[in-house]
Amino acid sequence: MGERVLLTAVLAVLVAMSPAAAFERAGDRKILVFAGRQEVPTIDPSVKYDWSIRMAQQSLYDALVKYVGNPPEIVPWLAEKWESSPDAKTWTFHLAKNAKFHNGDPVTAEAVRFSFARTLKLNQGPAWMLSDFLKEDGIKVVNDTTIQFNLTQSYAPFLSFLPWWYVMNPKQVMANEQAGDMGQKWLTTNAAGSGPFKIKRWEQGVLYELEAVDGYWKGWPSKDHIGGVIYKIVRESAAQRAALIRAEADIVEGLSSDDFDQVAKMPGIAVPTFPGMTTFGIKMNTQNGATKDVNLRKAVCYAFDYEALVKIYNGNAILQTSPFPNATRGFVAVPGIYRQDLGKAKEFLAKSAYPNGGLELEYVYVQGLEEERKMGLVLIDNLQKLNITVKMVPLIWPNMVGRGAKPETSPELMAVFATPVSTDPDAVAYQYHKNSWGKYYGSSYYANDAVWALIDKARTIARWEERAPIYADIQRKIVADAPEIFGMLANRRWAMRDHVKGFVFSPVRFTGEVDLYPLAIAAK
Amino acid sequence: MLGYLARRFLLLGLMLFGLLCITFVISHVAPGDPARLAAGPDATASMVETLRVQYGLDRPLLVQFGQYLRGVLGGDLGRSLRTRETVASDLARYFPNTFELVTGAMLLAVGLGIPLGILSAVYRDTWVDQLTRVVSVSGIALPAFWLGLMLQLLLALELGLLPLGGRLGLMATPPAPVTHLLVVDAILAGQWRVLGDALAHAVLPTVTLCFPALASIVRVNRAEMLETLKQDYIVNARAQGVSELRIVARYALKNAMIPTLAMIGLRYGWMLGGTVLVETVFDWPGIGLYAVASAVSSDFQPIMGVTLVIGLNFMLANFLVDLAYGWLDPRVRPSLST
Repeated sequence: MGERVLLTAVLAVLVAMSPAAAFERAGDRKILVFAGRQEVPTIDPSVKYDWSIRMAQQSLYDALVKYVGNPPEIVPWLAEKWESSPDAKTWTFHLAKNAKFHNGDPVTAEAVRFSFARTLKLNQGPAWMLSDFLKEDGIKVVNDTTIQFNLTQSYAPFLSFLPWWYVMNPKQVMANEQAGDMGQKWLTTNAAGSGPFKIKRWEQGVLYELEAVDGYWKGWPSKDHIGGVIYKIVRESAAQRAALIRAEADIVEGLSSDDFDQVAKMPGIAVPTFPGMTTFGIKMNTQNGATKDVNLRKAVCYAFDYEALVKIYNGNAILQTSPFPNATRGFVAVPGIYRQDLGKAKEFLAKSAYPNGGLELEYVYVQGLEEERKMGLVLIDNLQKLNITVKMVPLIWPNMVGRGAKPETSPELMAVFATPVSTDPDAVAYQYHKNSWGKYYGSSYYANDAVWALIDKARTIARWEERAPIYADIQRKIVADAPEIFGMLANRRWAMRDHVKGFVFSPVRFTGEVDLYPLAIAAK
Repeated sequence: MLGYLARRFLLLGLMLFGLLCITFVISHVAPGDPARLAAGPDATASMVETLRVQYGLDRPLLVQFGQYLRGVLGGDLGRSLRTRETVASDLARYFPNTFELVTGAMLLAVGLGIPLGILSAVYRDTWVDQLTRVVSVSGIALPAFWLGLMLQLLLALELGLLPLGGRLGLMATPPAPVTHLLVVDAILAGQWRVLGDALAHAVLPTVTLCFPALASIVRVNRAEMLETLKQDYIVNARAQGVSELRIVARYALKNAMIPTLAMIGLRYGWMLGGTVLVETVFDWPGIGLYAVASAVSSDFQPIMGVTLVIGLNFMLANFLVDLAYGWLDPRVRPSLST
C-alpha cells in the first residue's frame, strides 16, 4: 500500500511538472491569469479600497456611473441618466430597469439607498468622499427606479466620486449580518453585487478566482470576453516576470522599469504604456525646520535636476507642469514652474535665512523603493552645490506616515506618490487644504488662507465655467508658494501576453488596477 | 518525571508571558498609527477615530494589554485591522503551510545531514569529506533568497521542470481541510493528483530552506563524530574487533548526536519564524508573509499572535530535544525524573 501511494505521488509530481498553458481553461471558458503583488484583504465596498481591492470590487459590483477611457469620461452604468439642480445640491438618478444582482434580485432605488446609507454609517472606505455633503436622510427613494440625493450644500464634484460607490443587495447583506455589523464580516470575502463577475474561489493570501456572469445584465463588449479571472498573488517582481515569460500569467503589474523594457522586447509579450495620474513630489515641511523658509524651498526647487527623474524611469515619465496631474479637469500648465537653474537657486538661497547654505536636510523615503532612493541621491548631488547636505532616511511605510502625521515631526523633505481618486480638480486641490494636514500627502503642511478659501469656494460652484478659472488660479498660487518639488508623472505600465485583447486604460484607476470587464482572449 | 514536566510547563508559561510583554511594548512604541493606516490615506479624522474605537485602540495601553491577556487565556488572539479576520483564524490558515514547509525542510536536512556528517568524519580528508565540506560551507554562505531565486530561474524558468511558486497549481482544487496540512489532507482524501501538485510546488522552497540547516547539521555532526571517534572506548571497541559499522552506528553516533540534536531543536524553532524570505520568493502562503504584511501595516494583534505561536513552537521544540537527551544519554535521565 505504502509503495503504491509513493509511486502514485511520484507520477503525479511528474504530471505537475509539465509545461504550463498560456492561459487557463475551465470547460470552454478562457480564464485570464493576473499576477499581482498585492493581496485583496477585503472586498466590502463600504470598508476599504486600494488598487487590488478596487479591481475586485469593480468586477463584482456596479455603481451608478463608471469611469471609462483616457481622458476618463463618466458614463451611465446602473443609472441610465441623471440630472442635477442648478445649484448642484439635488441629484436625481434613473436606474436601468434590467439591472439584476447575481442572485436574480432587481437592482432597485432602495438597494442604492441602502448601499449609500451603509457606507455613510460605517464611516470607512469611501465614506470621506461624500460624508461632508450627504447625510443618510438626504437619500430619497422616489420610486423603484429613481433615487434622489439631497446634499447639505452645493457640491459640484459629487458625480465624480460616484463610480467608487458600489451598490449592494440589501437582502443578501442583511441576511448575513452578525452582531449588528451590517454584514461586514460576511462581505469581507463574499459579494452581494450585480457586476460582470462573481466569486468562484477565494483563497485569502493565495489567489482569488472570479467567474464571468452568463447573461450579465449590461451585456459583454466582446464575444471573446474572458470567462473568468484568476488573480494570483506573486510578491516578488522577479517571479512575476518569470511567470509572464513562462506564460503562467497573462498580465503582470509592478515590474521595474528595466524589467518592463526587457520583457517588451520578447515575442508574445506586449507592454502598453500610458501617462498616469500619480504625481511624485518631494514634500517640504512648510511649518517647521529650515524648509519653513520659502526662499530656501525655492532654492531647493531650482537646484533640483528634474530630468533625472525621467531618466530614473528610463524615459517613461513626464515632468509635472502643475500641482495637478494632466488628466485632471481644469489642469493648466503653470508658466515658469521650477526647472533646474543654479543661478536662481543661489539667488533664492541668498535671500533665505541660510545665505551660505551649511545646513542639513532630512529626506525620508519608503524603504525598499529603489526609485525613491535614486531620487535621494539626485538630491544629495544637486543640493551639494548650495552647500546643503542631505541625510537620506529610509523608513517603512507606517513609520513614514507616522513621521508625517504632525508638523513637528514631519521631515523637511519627504518622497510622496499620490493618486487622486477622481478627475475633478477638487480631489487634487484638497490635498493642499488645511483639512489634509496629517495625511501623508499633506505632509508639507501647506498654509495659504487665500488658496484654502478658493478651494472651499470652487467645490460649491455648479457651473464649470465659473470653477475653471478658480482652479487655474489655485494651481498658480500653489506653485508660487513652493510647498514641494513638483516632480513627475510616471507612466502606467503593464506587461501582458499578446493574446489579451480589449485592454482599456483609464488614468483615474489606481496603479496596477485594470478594468477586467472589456478584456478578451483572442486565442484558440 | 511529572514534577519535571510541571516545572517545564510553568517555565514555558512564564517565558510566553515575558514574550508577550516585550512584543506588546515594542509594537506599541513603534511610530505609526494602525488605525490611520487601516482607515486608508484619504480617511478623515472621524473615520480614523471610528476604527480606533471599534478595535479598542482608544483605551489606555495597560487596559489594552489586560484585555489582550484575558483574550489570549480564552483562546482569543484579537482581530487583525488589515485582514478584518480574527488572528486565530488567520493563523489557522497560514501556520500549517509554514509547518509543512519547515518540517519537510528539516526532515530533508536531518535525513541528508546526519549521514553526510558521518561519512565526512569516517572518510576524513578524502574526496567525500572535501565534497561534503563544500556543500556545508555553501549552505552557510549562500543567502536563502538568492539561492531560491537561482533555483527558480534554473529549474522553473529555464528548464521548466518545477513550478515557479505558490502552494498549488492554479486550477487545482485543494482537498477539504481535515488537518489543514495540504499534503496530509490530500493523502487522506486520496487526491493523488493534488498531492503530486502540492509536492511539486514544495520541492524548490523545501530545498532552499533545507540548505542552511543541512549545512549546520553536517558541520556539527562531523565535528562531534570526529571527536567521538577519538575516544578511548572507541579505540577499545576496535581493539576487541567490533565491526566499524557497529562502532560508528551504535557507539559513536549516539554520543555525537547530543549536540547535533540540540542544534536541530534550535534550528527548527528558528526556521518556523525565519521563513519569510523563502515564503516571499516562492509565494508560499505561510506565517512569515503574514507577519511581515502585519508589521508593515502596524497591525499589532497579528504581530503578537505570530510571536506567540513562533515562541511556543520554539519552546516546545527545545522541550522535546531535552526529552530526547534523556533517551540518548542515561546520565541526563535522573534530572528528568526528579
